[in-house]
Amino acid sequence: MRRIIKIASVLFAGALVLAACSSSEDTSTDTAPETPAVKVGLAYDSGGRGDGTFNDAAAAGVDRAVTEFGVEVNEVEAADSDGDPERAERLRLLAADGYNPVIAVGFAYSAALAEVAPEFPETTFAIVDSVVDAPNVASLIFAAEQGSFLVGTIAATASKSGKIGFIGGMEIDLIRAFQAGYEQGARAVNPDVEIQVQYMGPAGDNTAWNAPDKAKIATEGMIDSGVDIVYAAAGGSGLGMHQAIAAAGGSAAGYWGIGVDSDEYVLPARAEFKDNIITSMLKRVDVSVYEVIKSVVDGAPLSGVQNFDLSREGVGYSASNPAVAPLAAVADEYSAKIVSGEIVVSTTLD
Amino acid sequence: MLAVELSGIWKRFPGVIANKDINLRVDVGTVHAIVGENGSGKSTLMKILYGMQKADEGTITVNGKPIVFSSPSDAIEVGIGMVHQHFMLADNLTVLENVVLGSEPSKAGRLDFGAARKRILEISNSYGLDITPDVLVSELGVGDRQRVEILKVLYRGARILILDEPTAVLVPHEVEELFQALNGLKAEGITIIFISHKLDEVLEIADAITVIRRGETVASLNPKQQQVTAEQLAELMVGSELPTPETQGSTVTDKVVLSVARLTSVNKDGKEDISNLDFKIHAGEILGIAGVEGNGQSELVEAIMGTRAATGEITISGVNVSNLGTRKRRELGVAYIPEDRSRLALLLDAPLWENRILGHQTKAPNAKGFRLTPKLAKEDTKTIVKEFDVRTPGIDVLASALSGGNQQKLIVGREMSSNPILLIASHPTRGVDVGAQAAIWDHLRAARENGLAVLLISADLDELIGLSDSIKVILRGKFVADADPTNVTPQELGNAMTGAVKAAS
Amino acid sequence: MLRRLDTLIAPVVAIVFSIVFASFILLAFGANPLDTFLRMFEYATTPRSMALILNSSTTYYFSAVAVAIGFKMNLFNIGVNGQYRLATAVAALVAGYITFPGYIGIPIIIFISMLVGAAWAGIAAWLKVVRGVSEVISTIMLNFIAIGLIAYLMAPSVLGVQTAENVIGTPIIPEGNRIPEITLGNAPIPVYGMILLAVALGFAYWYILNRTRFGFDLRAVGMSPTAAVASGVNVKRMTVYAMLLSGAVAGLVGLPLLLGAQYTFTVNFPGNYGFTGIAIALLGRNHPVGIAFGALLWAFLDVSAQILDLIGVPREVIVIMQGVIVLSVVIAYEVTRRIKVRRQQAAVGMAGHQ
Repeated sequence: MRRIIKIASVLFAGALVLAACSSSEDTSTDTAPETPAVKVGLAYDSGGRGDGTFNDAAAAGVDRAVTEFGVEVNEVEAADSDGDPERAERLRLLAADGYNPVIAVGFAYSAALAEVAPEFPETTFAIVDSVVDAPNVASLIFAAEQGSFLVGTIAATASKSGKIGFIGGMEIDLIRAFQAGYEQGARAVNPDVEIQVQYMGPAGDNTAWNAPDKAKIATEGMIDSGVDIVYAAAGGSGLGMHQAIAAAGGSAAGYWGIGVDSDEYVLPARAEFKDNIITSMLKRVDVSVYEVIKSVVDGAPLSGVQNFDLSREGVGYSASNPAVAPLAAVADEYSAKIVSGEIVVSTTLD
Repeated sequence: MLAVELSGIWKRFPGVIANKDINLRVDVGTVHAIVGENGSGKSTLMKILYGMQKADEGTITVNGKPIVFSSPSDAIEVGIGMVHQHFMLADNLTVLENVVLGSEPSKAGRLDFGAARKRILEISNSYGLDITPDVLVSELGVGDRQRVEILKVLYRGARILILDEPTAVLVPHEVEELFQALNGLKAEGITIIFISHKLDEVLEIADAITVIRRGETVASLNPKQQQVTAEQLAELMVGSELPTPETQGSTVTDKVVLSVARLTSVNKDGKEDISNLDFKIHAGEILGIAGVEGNGQSELVEAIMGTRAATGEITISGVNVSNLGTRKRRELGVAYIPEDRSRLALLLDAPLWENRILGHQTKAPNAKGFRLTPKLAKEDTKTIVKEFDVRTPGIDVLASALSGGNQQKLIVGREMSSNPILLIASHPTRGVDVGAQAAIWDHLRAARENGLAVLLISADLDELIGLSDSIKVILRGKFVADADPTNVTPQELGNAMTGAVKAAS
Repeated sequence: MLRRLDTLIAPVVAIVFSIVFASFILLAFGANPLDTFLRMFEYATTPRSMALILNSSTTYYFSAVAVAIGFKMNLFNIGVNGQYRLATAVAALVAGYITFPGYIGIPIIIFISMLVGAAWAGIAAWLKVVRGVSEVISTIMLNFIAIGLIAYLMAPSVLGVQTAENVIGTPIIPEGNRIPEITLGNAPIPVYGMILLAVALGFAYWYILNRTRFGFDLRAVGMSPTAAVASGVNVKRMTVYAMLLSGAVAGLVGLPLLLGAQYTFTVNFPGNYGFTGIAIALLGRNHPVGIAFGALLWAFLDVSAQILDLIGVPREVIVIMQGVIVLSVVIAYEVTRRIKVRRQQAAVGMAGHQ
């Protein structure tokens, strides 16, 4: 009995320390010089600022608003163990403290926001990646399938082997839309392209977003079977894709990775791999967050479903890497067709 | 020349003085016995000499040099080695690995088991320890384990050996072998400090004897020069007359309580630990099983208790229990005093009154239906503590706080107070002091008169002969001889146990 | 009385130590420890926070008792996570799809949840008893299998429905299948009705362990399997019973949140209460009252972490504090245990010399 208690406590404490280490990033924010009128409350999903993709994209939008409008920002972050009551309480605390707008980053806040928004009718709320039906909520959603279509055309054009790969995070509709767009784009360029797909976990398995080791093995498997371009829409797991690409020789050997959400080519967290990142599917969470803040600053708060698609530059592909230039013409051509409505990208694969 | 000199040793624990001005002088190349009852302070004294505890006052001189020990490794450094009463061997390692553990031989940074194996065999052969280096310790009997302990100390180059009750687990001829070895060691100038209860053996082997009572040295004797008897020694130890295990007259009835037929148990290597054992025990009869440790006694007991798989037929007062579990058997009125009390008979981390429940969970005063009745169990524990003279401040102390002898008294008390019809007792008085031993014998005798059937296993042949109504000798899992306790001598019995001679019957 | 005091000293020392330790960490982050603790305390004592604390601790209590049942028998049930997730998912499906008449649904749903938890733990028990597989390994593996199984059940093509954009889960549970809440005084949010079940469970746990033969046998196996066998306990059978019980209690873990607040099981349902339960069982020394205090303390820290975030103190300070409390409680208990044994041995020695 005593022995098992000792073992358990050591295991437990070790795990806690790891958890604390892995998620502690700088949470302080710049405060504007003069007292601003607008106080922005930003509730991140777990991982918070510094996660390298999703939360960071939201952070970029806030940072831009801070520099442009001098708004004050308070950032809070979800814990892995949070249920709806904890998430609701977080939003409630922000709203009660006078923060307006209050922006919830991630669909996990859906139920919580639906509960809290009616309690504060004067506050503008926004939620990223989900739809909450309330008059004072702006639901920020993205046509990720359109952006993924574009990087799909780039992947199929760049591939020498005619085999490309897709690494998904959790197997949910949100990510399946990325896969669907990517496949449609690739097939539009090369109907015979072979596309290998792997998800890092089933719905409900939150480790899927943070399993770089698993993503690395999956990518290695794809490379072994001839894949030379891999697109990862898998949150923190994407790191493993980049590691595997680099291990295979990277761009010098003809292997490229495609990033997601942020422009991973310029992301400090991906600096080590930048030369192998041909492009990234941009999901402009930053644009959406910035626009919500701007709308409140301007006195005309956004509300309702805000679909950030290609036409609104809510999604797109990154041209930061000069290597993408020769391929850009194809992508831009399709981009125009999507914006004009000539091509309709489906969010599902039939 | 003196190997060890302890002078003016005091050791106080909160509320207790364990050692009171103890003086001890041990000559080089002698066997020096320290005798005393359990709790007399000799274990503390040895712990001080071995560096496990620090004396509050007094000096220790080893080979003429005053020494201060802060840990056993200091003691080992000056050549003092200790063979503990409780073995300190890792079950899942081999003898070889156990012996080298902590002083692993290495050759160019790699473990060099070859050299170690050779040395172990050398030591083993020269002192007749009969050790096979590559056997797992878990497969060894208690006797073998002790010899491994002795070898382990010798292997580390000890020149002064402390042996804590070394003969408690050995049969006479093994004792003699051990004594021969000790004499051999002595001849080579090795000093032996020998702690024992067995006064005859002490008188046989010791060159000098120090008697400790209640933390004080009460006598220093030289049996080679002055006439000392075991009775005198015992009186010095306890201040009273030595009890004997003799039983008076026969109380054996013709009512069969335990009947065992064709009992066979096969171990995982496919070897028969016990084969085809047949016997009956009647109400009022004590059947003694004599045998060298590891010849199937433990397996026999476990098979009867139902904790070991066996074939054959076991009947307890007419009920065939062969296919019943341990609990059902105990509910029929089987009391059990196992060989290894801390492993099998006690919950060391539980208070005494919960230990009183152990093994009798389903019976009054411990339980009524599915419910426990702690109040009644506690009251009964108080009675047991009083009747069996368990020295404890209360029944809420943990079992681990009691000394071995007191633990044993509690176990015996618990088992006897359940009004059993059959008692399976392995070494019921091992490790208890003379007074407690006499009390346990009294209880056994009284229960026997009231019709208790007893299966008695003991390494103490005086006890076995004194108490038993009949004796069977077990060797390699088979009964090889019967002995009549009224006229067999310990020597004859010992010979029969090793298979040398048929016991006189 | 003195003994009572003894058992209190260890946790108090540990908590004081953790506060001192956390103060240094706060200083290192540039925060004023005194101010920070005051804010935490102030926030945690508002009626709303207290209701939140009670609600979280209800969940934690179930989880810790589930773990403690195993601990009492030297079984390490790491699989509480998988057991309660699967149990909650199945309970949510039943509650979401079937409308029972009156309030009869609630006991049925609770029973089903316990049954699923027990069955999932039972697999580990079976593997241990029949195949000798360590429950540590098998329960961890079963956690992953549970996640996969839930993902399958939640797929819209199987039984799941889309409850919000990007959120799939079970149908919203109808009113009749929800557990009524309790409003305490003027607290703005009610307390889970399941808290009453938690209190009852605490009593039952204490009674079974200390006042029944079954509990004695279970503890005996935990303290010494060899002695338990010799005393007539069928250890294999006890292993199965203990795992089944542990799993059944684990089946309750997700219900306060499911039937008291969320009314749907989504793929985002919190998945780590089992781990928290291990820590709280350690904190509470597997004692029903100790666990209750541990659960309240843990919930207090979790809730006050929210306010830390808001005032710009990293919430990891709370995580560090929780870890330090667990470690120092374990150490403090071991130290006081040794002191106690030594004191008893001395007392026994005295008795022996009388």
